[in-house]
Amino acid sequence: MTDTVESTIERRAAIIATFKEELIQRLNLPYTAEDLHEDISLLGAGLGLDSLDALEIVLCAENCFGIKIPDESIEVLRSINTIVDYIIQEQDRRESAA
Amino acid sequence: MRTSYLKPILEKAGAVFEERCGTEVVSHFSDIATENSTVRNVVGLTDFSFLQMYRMPEETAIEFLDGVLAGNVASTRFGRITHTFLADDDGNILSDCYVANNDEEFLLLCESVIDTDEVDRILDACGAQDAGVERLHDSHVLLGLDGFDAWKVVRDAFGSDVLGLPYLSVEIYPFEGEDILLMRAGKTSEFGYLVMAPTRVAAELYTKLQEAVKVLGGGPCGVAVHDGLRLEGRFFNIFKEGVAVRDPLVLGLQWMIDFDKESFHGGAAIATRRAEGVKQKIVGVAAAADCESLVPGAMIYHAGQPVAEVVASCHSYVLDQKLALAVFPFELAYSGVPFTLGAAEGPSVRTISMPPILPKSLTLRLDEV
Repeated sequence: MTDTVESTIERRAAIIATFKEELIQRLNLPYTAEDLHEDISLLGAGLGLDSLDALEIVLCAENCFGIKIPDESIEVLRSINTIVDYIIQEQDRRESAA
Repeated sequence: MRTSYLKPILEKAGAVFEERCGTEVVSHFSDIATENSTVRNVVGLTDFSFLQMYRMPEETAIEFLDGVLAGNVASTRFGRITHTFLADDDGNILSDCYVANNDEEFLLLCESVIDTDEVDRILDACGAQDAGVERLHDSHVLLGLDGFDAWKVVRDAFGSDVLGLPYLSVEIYPFEGEDILLMRAGKTSEFGYLVMAPTRVAAELYTKLQEAVKVLGGGPCGVAVHDGLRLEGRFFNIFKEGVAVRDPLVLGLQWMIDFDKESFHGGAAIATRRAEGVKQKIVGVAAAADCESLVPGAMIYHAGQPVAEVVASCHSYVLDQKLALAVFPFELAYSGVPFTLGAAEGPSVRTISMPPILPKSLTLRLDEV
């Protein structure tokens, strides 16, 4: 594995692990972290979570990673991967602004 | 080979047919780009009568279906639909299933990679006759309305209260003296409905919906366009990645499984593989629009070695890119990683987060219409 690929994967894997653990606990999901594919649809299809669960997902991401997900950003909540993309984007934005 | 009751009407409308897992289906009416645009921007009407359809009384349904299917059927509330699957003895997926709780009866819709007789045989072996299971695939048709304007067609046909139907729900509506079932259950990421009707009114229903679709600027669609629509929206497609991979754990379908359930058909094999740990994972891949080699069977390379195999692909008309699903080893199955295709020096591809598109329908709230 090249250094760049390794660091990209390490960073993403760490965020995913933290987020999934928190998500399973907050929503009392009957799955292990390995069971949750990162591309599963969170709302409607897939896990079929509702609007209250969506609020928990937002709080989960905000509390774990110190970011803010705007109210109207429903596109961010489509899957675990789209949320992780947003977290990475926000972390990078903050780093470059600092 | 099983064929649709609506074949004469579909042929007259210009349908081109193909065989899919022992059943004749409409492949397409026009080119894929046109049908894709029809669904993404207006509404498409598709004949899904090739699905296996069953009905059974509520009092026997839960025990029977819970013993056969992977999901938690018992938790399906009245008026709602559970999305799950039927597996073989080895725990490999055979049918992508919807179970609808329609008050005093349950419905089972199966999209299968085996032919209808074989699905019937498996259900019979699991006690379908004792559970009072009635086969509907020869007595009913199943039509799909998918697209940004699909809600307008069902609203005009069945009344404004259809707008209150949440995703994965079912409701009965009268049509020409018959009860027809409307299910909000599309797999395109735009608004989507399935309409199930007895063959006695099938031609009238198809004609009525066809005219309503045409007035809006939509048109008929085949199943081929749905392969791309499903991939763009990251809906599971049993006819593409399903038939190539078969293992629901590699396919990421754990959400369709009730792991707390005592047993289901193929459940023991799935439980064993889950306990051993899954070694591979299906991941989205994107490439430039002109990357014609991103097709099923192509190998994806990393550090000079083949590491993943493409199992499904399409051209995304929304993104103007090639999209694919590929099976990666767990340690490389992450979004945002660059690879090459076909050789160490092959064209660049990249793993991506799915779903990659933002459907137009996500911008409209039906309860505010």
